[in-house]
This record gives sequence, structure tokens and C-alpha cells, in this order.
Amino acid sequence: MSNKSKELVQKENAVQAIIVVDTFDDEFLPLSNDIPHALLPLVNKPIIDYTLEFLSLGGIEETFLFCCTHIDAIKQHINKCVENAEEWTQTMKVNVVVSESCRSFGDCLRDLDAKGYLRGDFVLVEPGTISNINLLPLLEKHNKITKIDKGAAMTLIFQESGLGHISRCPKEEVLMATNSSGRVLFHKKLGTTRERKIEFPLEIFLENSTVSLRHNLKDTHISICSPAVLPLFSDNFDFQTRDDFVRGLLMNEEILGMTVYSNVLKGGQFGGAVTNWRTYQTLSHELKNNYVYPVQPSQKHNSFLKNDVIAGQNATISKSAKLNNVIMGDNVKIGENVDISNSFIFSNTKVEDNVTISLSIVGPNCLVKEKSKILAGTVLGKGVQIEKECFVEDALVQSTRPDELDSRDVLGKHAFRLVLDDNEPEDVVDLALARKLSRLHIDQNLGEESEDDGFSESEDERSSYTHSPAPDDTKLFFTEVIDSLTRGFEDKLQCDNLILEINSSRYAYNVTVKEVNFFVIKAILIMSLRQPMGPQYFSQLQRLLQYFVPILKNYLRNESAMLDCLQAVEDVATSNENLTEKWVMFVLQYFYDKDHVTEDAILKWYSTLDKKSNFHAQVKPFTDWLQEAEEASSSEDE
Amino acid sequence: MTHKEDLSDINKLISDIKQKKLITSYEIALKTEEIVEALISKRNWKHADELMDLIKLCIKFCTECLPQEATATNIMRHILKVIREEFEVVSKKKTEIQSLHQLVTANPNDVLDYTTPLKDLKMSLLDHLSEYKVELETSTDNIATQAAEHIHTNEIILTVGKSNLVEKFLKNAAKKRSINVIVLEQAPLYQGHEMAARLAKANIQTTIIPDSAVFAMMSRVNKVIIGTHTVLANGGLRAASGVHSIALAAKRYSVPVMVLSHMYKFSPIYSASHKQEAFNVMASPANVLPYSSGPILNKVQVLNPVFDYVPPELVTLFISHQGGNAPSYVYRLLSELYHQDDYYL
Repeated sequence: MSNKSKELVQKENAVQAIIVVDTFDDEFLPLSNDIPHALLPLVNKPIIDYTLEFLSLGGIEETFLFCCTHIDAIKQHINKCVENAEEWTQTMKVNVVVSESCRSFGDCLRDLDAKGYLRGDFVLVEPGTISNINLLPLLEKHNKITKIDKGAAMTLIFQESGLGHISRCPKEEVLMATNSSGRVLFHKKLGTTRERKIEFPLEIFLENSTVSLRHNLKDTHISICSPAVLPLFSDNFDFQTRDDFVRGLLMNEEILGMTVYSNVLKGGQFGGAVTNWRTYQTLSHELKNNYVYPVQPSQKHNSFLKNDVIAGQNATISKSAKLNNVIMGDNVKIGENVDISNSFIFSNTKVEDNVTISLSIVGPNCLVKEKSKILAGTVLGKGVQIEKECFVEDALVQSTRPDELDSRDVLGKHAFRLVLDDNEPEDVVDLALARKLSRLHIDQNLGEESEDDGFSESEDERSSYTHSPAPDDTKLFFTEVIDSLTRGFEDKLQCDNLILEINSSRYAYNVTVKEVNFFVIKAILIMSLRQPMGPQYFSQLQRLLQYFVPILKNYLRNESAMLDCLQAVEDVATSNENLTEKWVMFVLQYFYDKDHVTEDAILKWYSTLDKKSNFHAQVKPFTDWLQEAEEASSSEDE
Repeated sequence: MTHKEDLSDINKLISDIKQKKLITSYEIALKTEEIVEALISKRNWKHADELMDLIKLCIKFCTECLPQEATATNIMRHILKVIREEFEVVSKKKTEIQSLHQLVTANPNDVLDYTTPLKDLKMSLLDHLSEYKVELETSTDNIATQAAEHIHTNEIILTVGKSNLVEKFLKNAAKKRSINVIVLEQAPLYQGHEMAARLAKANIQTTIIPDSAVFAMMSRVNKVIIGTHTVLANGGLRAASGVHSIALAAKRYSVPVMVLSHMYKFSPIYSASHKQEAFNVMASPANVLPYSSGPILNKVQVLNPVFDYVPPELVTLFISHQGGNAPSYVYRLLSELYHQDDYYL
């Protein structure tokens, strides 16, 4: 090595970065068994090369490459780069840090904290990141922020990206609220949860004069960190990922006294990370379209053919092959009448005649024999051999025999379908969803139609959702209210306690105040109907209502609540046909006499009733009487 | 391994250029000169041939890493010529004036042997290089002082984008004459805005117009004065994208196009030279079609070329520190600047 790199190490304030190389997930199975994530070829260049090039162009002088698996392969690769004097080796020193015991992103950072390599602010790069950002201004900005806000721990870097853009991986959808200085007040990754509703804490709006809510962002997986970040990871053993960290910090803002900031990239600056096959595809697309300029796939190494086809060195392609949007590695052989679209073919793979491949990834050293079809989201691992006239769809295929094997999963001598086991039962839904989102990747690219459909559909869902609340929750709430009221009446519980109980279930099921009023009255009336309709009935009802007076008083406080109450009466009366005019008269009279509802409310409610309905006729005598009484009283006044 | 060590300075230069620590061609030129000077004074070279091989290696490496960057290689190429000249002077084999007769009668076997070690060569080289450095440093001023010769009172000058040299030239002209400058904003980077602001600060009547308005405005313009990235061997330009359309508009209205250029921008390459990587660079399309524009980006491929090729017939005059030259005379300037053998390495 030259003297230069020795100087770099000794330099006290060299700008430092951490790259964690392992993804700690199984997104890239079965390929990740043989090739480390960092060395996956992206447009025929290992991902790590892009990352290192980006860091050196971004002004980083010392990088810690943290790896836990495939250590030898990565070390070998880095050494080879140094030997070949790749550009980044000239300005940046790369240290490979190894720890085989780490099981998560958080573990890696805890390990680094223990080793104490880092001196000042540093750049944290998640696995597979590709970007062209100049990091120095961002570091400077972060430094400025820390001078104002001592607790600023991290600046997250985001990039604007419009709805419907392929780079928006549904798994990584971000929703974020920031204040005017860019401080993150709320941060949520929407992808893996099924929640259809997001609640912002009210405080963020009360405490800040301006809050911007952003959903047009893409996570670049790059963050600028203060030295405090590593100790924070060490102190909180439950932080597994960077998102855990952000969530933890935001939740315990008062306790930890730490804050997170955000920065949105402008202009030609680009950032993104290969986290699953979907992002693998989008980043290939973006590299091809030069979005990451000046970080580029090698122009010399690749030949750019028409129809968005890129081929590596020594690729043999027959003239009759139909290729469309394909990226091929070195020494690929494509036979006659092969039809390949929207796929990736890795190095040294041979595709024989009359094969169809679409929306799939074919790993290195594979052999696809004649007339096979490989479709929709298939991933072939290293060295897989697909037999003649084989049909594979949406499957992960590996060449070695797995331990537990279903006979249906054997596709050939060197081809076994890989079934991923979802270990934790309660997470199955989430995992399956996440998997679907990261797999779907290629499918969505099929054409504009499917994409537009998906878009409008989701919008419809959203709008209908805001209009009517999910019925299940309110129904559950109603039964719960009836239960507690019945129990309260039978056990002679205090009404105050019952109110508390109802209120807590209200929060649990997320029911509005109006609905609470409606359901409580309805519950009481329904309870009364459980009694036999005899002469005793009305005295029973009266006793019941008398008992619940405190509850009624608590809920029927204003006119709108009274209207809700009357609606409940209407609801019960119309849904139980055996209820007579007498019942309606009695209930209304009772509520009126006890001042639970006012005359105005009744008249207002009465005017909204359908005049032709049976119920209207039942109420009419009562309102007639009311109006007469009023006239009488007003004439008396005169 | 020795080669790699040799190139660490050049590597630093390349990464500095890539990281945009050195932005203007002037900065790159000075830095390159310094590096070569250090290389000559500190390295242990035995004879001129070895030194020339070393510099040639640097040039090759530079062109490989930065195929579109001509300044650094031109500086080094010129220094090669300097070495040859000094060698001839020191070895006292040089006949100062070569007459045609001498050229014809010269013995083809009588080639200079650069491997002869010469004691005084190093000193005289360093002397010459310090002269050359002064020449580089004063180049901008020398060009700017010619402004009064080319610009007349009340003329309307059109320029494009940002160029330190053009800025200085115009400011110098404005000292003696009242001029009116129209600046094209030069999308997508809009560097014209900054240029216009600087000119306006110097009390020059400045108008900024969008690139699309160039044809409409050209009829009123007296002169087009622009800078360039590189001057090619045929007198054509590799200039910022958008300049070609300006030159065409100028041709249509017979407005003279003057190109201000330092000597180190004259390159012995053509728009499609042998062994040359692509003439143009494609920058990120994000400046043309923002990344946030959404689904449209899934369906289109956007090309954002950085350079335009401007053919020599559209250029009226090159102004360097040696004065004005027509494009057809560029070949002569090149032979003065570089040795024939060093054109293609």
C-alpha cells in the first residue's frame, strides 16, 4: 500500500462511515446461500462496489465494513479491489470488521460500540445502499443541528418520489411528520402492517406551529449519526434495526432526551438500497437510466443492446432470441427461439432452445434445458438445472437437496423447490404480506394497466373507508356495553363504575361519542325487551331506567346527544315490530319528564322522521300533545 | 506495483475532479501543473525518456478514468513537448530555425536519443515550468484585456451559462464601454442565473432569457461570446449542451460567435477520435424530469447529455491569450502546443 493510506489512518478527524453488509433476512434466498448480499451483481457489478464508490465520492475517508457471514468472500473481494487500485481505494481506507456472533443490524452496531473505532459524527449505511449524494454538506448540516439541539442523534436522509413510481417499494412506504426545522415528530413504515388507519399523536400538532406530513418520500437507507447513536444501541437491547432505533427514540423522547432529524434530497441526488428483489429490480432500472450519475455500471464491461437489454462480456445470444428488458451477466449463452422478458440472468448460465423466461431471476451457473418455462417471480439459485419441458412458476429453486423435502418439491436432479417456513405463528400474516410485497415486484411492472388499476383501487378503498367505520368494532362495542349494563344491573354495581367501563371499551374499539350515546341508550332499551311483555313490563322498564339515571345524565348532555338517544329509540322501535304505540309513548314521555331530552330535541327529531312510516304515526300523538302543551303554556304566559 | 505507486498523485487529482473539489478548468490546470512539477523535481528519473514515459503513463491513466476531461491531459501533453524542447536545447542539438531545405535534407536516422542522461535538464525544465505556470496564471487576464478590441460601445452581447473567463472578459469590456449583456439561463442547471447576478453586480446592463428564446433574441444581438469545455482538433467545440442551437441561431442571423479559450483547452482529439470513449456524458435525468414526478418515470427513458458538439463552421473566432484565431488555424496552434508524436497516446 502507498503512504497515502497510512496517512489516512492516522488522520485524526477523518470522515468515517459504517456499512453493515448483512441483511439478516431471507429475502434473497436461495441465492444468498451462495453469494453474499454485498456481492450480488447489479448490472454486472457487485453491489458493494457501488456503495464504496458512492462513499468515496461522497467524501468519506475511512469506512468500516461490518460483516457476519460469507466473510472470506467479502474480504477477498475487498483485497482484490485494493490490488487493482480501484478508484475508491485511493481516497478511502476500508476496514473489514468481522463478528460472527451478530444476529441483527443492532448487534453489529453494539459490537462496533464496544470496539470504539468511531470518533465523531459518522455516516451509517444499511446493506445494499447505492447513491450519489455528496455527504460532506449533510454532515456539516447535522453538525450544525447538534450545536442547536444537543440531543440530535441522527439525521435520516430521504428522497422525494412520487406516488406510483416503481421505486416506491410498498414494503418500505414511509409516513413521516416533521416540524419546520426538519425534526422528525412521527415516523412510521407502513409496509408490513395491515393497519388501515394511522393515528398521529395530538401533541405533535399542539406543540409545533408548523407540521409537515409527508408520504412522498423514499428511504435512502443512509443516515448521518452523532457519536451518541452507538451507545444508544448498546443501552437498548431491543433495537434490532434502524427503524427500531427511530421508533424507540421517538417513543421515549423525554426519557432518552434524543431527537431524530430528517433531510430530503434535492435535484439530481439519488439514494436507494437493494433490500429485496423488488428494489433490486428498480435500482437496476435506475442505474440503467443514469439516475445515480456519476455512479454508473461499467460502460466497458457491459454492452447495451436494444430493447433495454444489457449483456456482460462474452455473452452468446442467438439471433432468433427475443429479449426484452433483460440484464445478463458474463458468459451467458442464449439458445434459439428463446423468449426472455423482464428478467435477470446471472453469469455463466446457459439457456437452451425454445425456453421462455419472464419476470424471473436465474442465478449463476444455471442450466435451463429445452422448452422449459420459467415464469412470474421465480428465483433460481446457483447451479440449478431445470430439466426439459419443465414448468416453474413463482418458486424459489435451489440446487442442493434441503433437509426436509416434500416429494412435490423435487423438480429435477439439481432443482429443489425451497419452501420458506414462517416460524412465528402470530406474525404469519405480517410475514406473508411482507413477502408478497417484496416478491410482487416484477409483476407490477407488467404494464400500465395493472398498475393504474392497483392505484385507483386503493384509492377507492381509502375513500369508502373514511365514510363508514368498520362495522365489526362497533358491533363488538355494542355487545360489550349490553354485557356490562346487564351485569351492573344484576349485581347492583355503581353507575359511575359502569360509565368508566363503557368509556374504556369505547377507546378500545375506537367508537365516536355519537355512537356511544346511541349504543348506550339502545342497550338499555334492548335490555328491557328481555322482560316478558306483560302488565309488569312497564314498571320493570321504569325501574331499569331509574337505575341507570346517572348513566343517562352522563351521556345525554347536549342536544346532539339527545338526538342520538331519540334515534336509538327509533332504531329499537322500528326493529322490534311487536312494540306498540304505547311503548313509544311511554319511553318518550319518560325521557321528557325526567328531563333527559328536551322538547326542542324531540320536535327536531320528529321533523326528520319519514312521514309515511309506521313509526311516524306512533310518535305523532306524543308530539301533538307536546305542541298543544306548549301553545297552552305560551298562551298562559301572554 | 511500482506503477501504482507512481500514480498516486494523479489518482488524487482524478478523485478530486470526480468529487468536484476542483471544479473550474483553471483549478484543474494549475493542480496538474503542480503535480507534474513535483514529479519532475522529486522523482528519481535518469533520463528524459524515462520521464516522458512516466508522464505518458499519467496521460493514459487520466484519459481512461476521465475520458471527457481534456484539461489535465493537455497540460501534461504540453509538458511533454517542453521536455523535448529543453532536451534539444540542453543537448545543444537544436537548430533554432528549421528551414524547408533543412527539413528535406535531414537524415531520417538522425533521431534524438532521449535516453542520454543530461545533468542540466532537470534545472532547465523546472525553470521552464515555472514560466509556464506564470503563463497559466496570467492567461485569464491576458484574454480579458483583449475585450476592448472585440467589443464596441452599445453592443448587445449574448452569452450562455456560467464561465469565469467570459465574466472577466465582459467586466473588462464594461470598464471602457457601455454594453448590454443577454444571458441564457442554460437549463437544466440554470447556471446562467448566477452569471447574470454577478454581471449585474458589476453594473452591467444584464437581461436573462430562457434558452428557448434564443432565436427570437438573436436578431438584435451584435456578438455571441461564450466559453467552452474543449476545443477539438478540427476547430469544433465540446461545449455545454444548448450551445449548438445558439451557434446555429447566430449563423442564421450572421452574428459572429467568439469562443474564449485558454490554451490548455485546445485538444488534439476529434469528435470521434480513435480509442476514445463516448464523446458525450449522460448526466442524471433527475434535473430534467424530477424524480418525484411519479409513474411517468416507469415508462420513459430520459437522456440528459452534458455536452454539445459545435461544428467549426459555426465558430467565427477563438480568443486565447495569444490573440484571435480562426477555427481553420487550430491545427497550427496544436502543433505549437504539442509534439506530433504525443497527439495520440
